Amino acid sequence: MQQKTITVVIDETGNSSVDLEGFAGRGCEEVLKDFQGDDRAKVQRNKPMFYSQTSDPQSRQLKSGR
Amino acid sequence: MSAYGEFETMIREQRYLIEGLTEMGYRVETHPEGAPLVGYHGDERPERAEVIIRRAQLDSASNDIGFVREKDGRFRAIVSEYDRSIGYDDKWLGRVHQHYKEKQTMAMAEAKGYIFRGKELVQTPNGPQIRLQFVAR
Repeated sequence: MQQKTITVVIDETGNSSVDLEGFAGRGCEEVLKDFQGDDRAKVQRNKPMFYSQTSDPQSRQLKSGR
Repeated sequence: MSAYGEFETMIREQRYLIEGLTEMGYRVETHPEGAPLVGYHGDERPERAEVIIRRAQLDSASNDIGFVREKDGRFRAIVSEYDRSIGYDDKWLGRVHQHYKEKQTMAMAEAKGYIFRGKELVQTPNGPQIRLQFVAR
């Protein structure tokens, strides 16, 4: 199982960037929210693994006819 | 890879502001109801603040630096023109925000059970960046 890592970079102006690796789906959004705290979001995007992991359970269900 | 965000730091939590300023080497006064800032002549100024760095820790001609809580909950710095001109400028305020964000992040991560894996200072032409790494359980 891939390790779920969070890298926070706080720049010289005090603003931060948060990079998540190994996460998928809603858990990913919650972690990003934790590290955002009360701060204002400037950029926020999901990376490829987010989509591939979130779509998998549904497609598996359809294929198995449930 | 799964997600990425960039955030503008808002100073809202007094305790991490105090911890950050303390780490920067200042002795900080806190006044829940606010207290007047003192000017370089020893005169009380009209501005009041909840968190104050007294001028004795700055320059001989400095005024107090204050952080006042605004109606939206954010702290705003009160820094005189003179003090801005001798280095307590936007770059210095950036360092205040940086220390605040580090303290706030570390406390949140511990409270929510993230495992701290390390801190690294990365030197850039504009100043040091702080890189923190965590692992989720």
